[in-house]
Amino acid sequence: MSNGASPQYDVVIVGAGASGNLIAKQLGLAGKKVLILEAGLAVPDSREEYMNNFYLALAKTPESPYPALAGRTGNKDHPVGKLPDPATLPTPRATVLGLGGTPDVSYLVQAQSWIATHPDSKEPPQNPPTEPDGDVRGLQFSSTFERNGGGTSWHWLGTSLRELENDIRMYTKYQHAVDWPVTYGEMQQLWALAEKEIGVAASVVQQEPLEVVGLEYPPGYQYPMGPIPTSLVDQTISQGVSGLQVPGTLPDTPGGSDPQMYDVFVTPTPAGRNSEPYDDRRVCAGNTNCIPICPIQAKWDPTVTLGKALDTGNVTVSYQSVAYNVAVDANNNATDIDYYVWSRDGQGNLQKVSKSVTAKIYVLACHAIENAKLLLLSNNWKGIANKSDQVGRNLMDHPLYLTWALAPQPLWGYRGPLATAGIESLRDGEFRKYRASFRMEIGNEGWNFSVGDPYTTTLDFITGTNNSGLNNGGPNGSAQRLGGTALALKLNNLLTRQFRIACMFDQSPLAENRVQLDINQETGKPNNTDGLGLPRPKVEYGFDPYTMEGFRMAAYVCSKIYEQMGAQEFTKNNVGGTGDFTYRGQNYHYYGAGHVVGTHRMGPDPYTSVVDASQRSHDVQNMWVVGSGSFPTVCTANPTLTLMALAFKSADSIIAALKA
Amino acid sequence: MTTPPNSGGPSEAVVQDFANMSAALTGFQPSFIRPFLDPVNLSGTFYEFAVAQVGQTMMDALMSAFDALSNQQPPLSPQQIANTLLEVASSTPSQQAQLCQSIVAMWYLGSWYPPPFQKDGLQQVISSQAYTKSLAWNVAQAHPMGFSAFTFGYWSQPPGSLDTFGVNTGGGQ
Repeated sequence: MSNGASPQYDVVIVGAGASGNLIAKQLGLAGKKVLILEAGLAVPDSREEYMNNFYLALAKTPESPYPALAGRTGNKDHPVGKLPDPATLPTPRATVLGLGGTPDVSYLVQAQSWIATHPDSKEPPQNPPTEPDGDVRGLQFSSTFERNGGGTSWHWLGTSLRELENDIRMYTKYQHAVDWPVTYGEMQQLWALAEKEIGVAASVVQQEPLEVVGLEYPPGYQYPMGPIPTSLVDQTISQGVSGLQVPGTLPDTPGGSDPQMYDVFVTPTPAGRNSEPYDDRRVCAGNTNCIPICPIQAKWDPTVTLGKALDTGNVTVSYQSVAYNVAVDANNNATDIDYYVWSRDGQGNLQKVSKSVTAKIYVLACHAIENAKLLLLSNNWKGIANKSDQVGRNLMDHPLYLTWALAPQPLWGYRGPLATAGIESLRDGEFRKYRASFRMEIGNEGWNFSVGDPYTTTLDFITGTNNSGLNNGGPNGSAQRLGGTALALKLNNLLTRQFRIACMFDQSPLAENRVQLDINQETGKPNNTDGLGLPRPKVEYGFDPYTMEGFRMAAYVCSKIYEQMGAQEFTKNNVGGTGDFTYRGQNYHYYGAGHVVGTHRMGPDPYTSVVDASQRSHDVQNMWVVGSGSFPTVCTANPTLTLMALAFKSADSIIAALKA
Repeated sequence: MTTPPNSGGPSEAVVQDFANMSAALTGFQPSFIRPFLDPVNLSGTFYEFAVAQVGQTMMDALMSAFDALSNQQPPLSPQQIANTLLEVASSTPSQQAQLCQSIVAMWYLGSWYPPPFQKDGLQQVISSQAYTKSLAWNVAQAHPMGFSAFTFGYWSQPPGSLDTFGVNTGGGQ
């Protein structure tokens, strides 16, 4: 505690991920003494251990390479391995395999699927009902994250698109949602810094067609390296959509219509992976594994920047250190951070020791959900920095709508980086008054995301099932069983024609979508804790009609694309379990994009936002809360580039505050 | 050459016989399933793994059935042998045919999928190399996700022909 002694550090940062490591590096270069408290395990000396975890995982989910995994054998009750109970783990995190599960497998406490809550029911799974206001609530928040040295961006895709000018001024332009408290001109400067730090491969000339949606670069700007070549999948779709136009809105869109026709075209995606050696890292070899782990670190990840932070000689990391309280004095100054250092004894039992550390400035950089949790845990679980009552609210994802099809000719997926191009031409227009905008990511992994291929289709033809939808060529549409060359040729014919498109939506910020502590309101005791005894995050989530109307449009656009290409669509809109909803009589299934946004929104007004434009708390003067949690809206681009850009701005403001 | 004598493991002849059967069942070239120099020796690994799962007696019976088909005159094509062992025309494949399915799945997917008769069987990835050498990716003319020997930019060009990925494209009837 503050007892008159000088602070131990200039700055303490919670979380060794994308934002935290960058701020640490900038402060270290400026000669400031920095401690990073990282909740999880240290960055391993070599990624071989993580690669081996990945190879041996039955379900190769985003979390599969990283510590504290599902078991490696499956049976009928646990087909992809038994999941560890989050109540026994020091740093449990949301996992894909835990989604929709009860709190003994799901770290996030949230709405559960019909199947989970009615295990003995013979009824079909039911989607959440539509509320009188048109919203659908009680949905599963489907994005996950990591808690280890390097953070969730170990498994970012590498997509480094800039936001559009209208993305960050939605209210001014379209009277929907809120504006960002920064200008496009300032963001352009910050994006350039982030692109250099990451090493973004792209060509300004190739991006120029996106002027139609307002994408602009300062004169003469060049990316740090040339672009990543597009895949045969990209090239096939690009030719296939030639001349295609779609309207801004569909008939009967609530609120109004945008009849303008918009061009559908493909552009290469700026990527945080090397097209040439950069920062002592190798060129991309197309391992098709950006998520969950690049085997050769050709893709930037936060451990790259952490290494540079440590090289300054001014930055120290304390691993296995879980912050659980930011102490704030009567003058609204943070005075110290309390944290548990955890370890396992010889018998594997969890041990914890409580410690405190002091600094002049504190930075919370431990992920949108964990930042909110830490703010709410502080002050004896009564919360800090929350005059606005916005901490934990406006939780957003880039809800992802996945469609897939079989092309008439081979286009050879399963090759190259996971995604190398997309359709960005529909990201802006007058329709944003009435429905959510979206970008469209073209996948290079066949139907891996879509149905779990090549596993599912291969097993279908070995065992005579039809889980993929592709094995119905027997008599009367029955499934075939094949072996030998016939099996190889059949699978070759199908796997080489598979492709998919993922649509990601600029979901509306809603105050009811929120992270809270999972505490019993009457007793004040936690309902569910982690292995350290800390309350877990309780999450509530849903969509408004504006967001769901975006899904309706996306389904229409994808079908138009497949139709014009002569491709056969296999999209499954009713998966059952979590992630299904009904809108205007149509079922949709959504996934999480891992883009967790909005829990400590930034804005100019201390009564409606948590942090200011430099991500400094409005309420606690020497505390910054950083990362995608600060985004007022999720926008149309993937968030990592922009959260890195904002971290540069925060670092500058912290250095300025330390001088003052 | 990969299994020293008296090591306790299966003999060289048994492993080669298993590799030959695997080639027929998978539709891959025998020299691809078991190259002359084979330091990884997935054939030996998979043989021993399958024996541990279903027992020596059942595996011996399968190998005898394969040997009988291989020695038939006039010779059967690899596809005919695969169809016979997998009983592809039957709607109720025997336990031996179910074991053959699990063997095909080992090669294609690197994992053990317990055959229906193995009630206590556990699904599992057999080894890292079983994953990185799994054949489903070859029939896609690609590579296992996370394990590629290709170089920058290959994805913008068509892949090599299917036989260069080891498939016995002429093995059919």
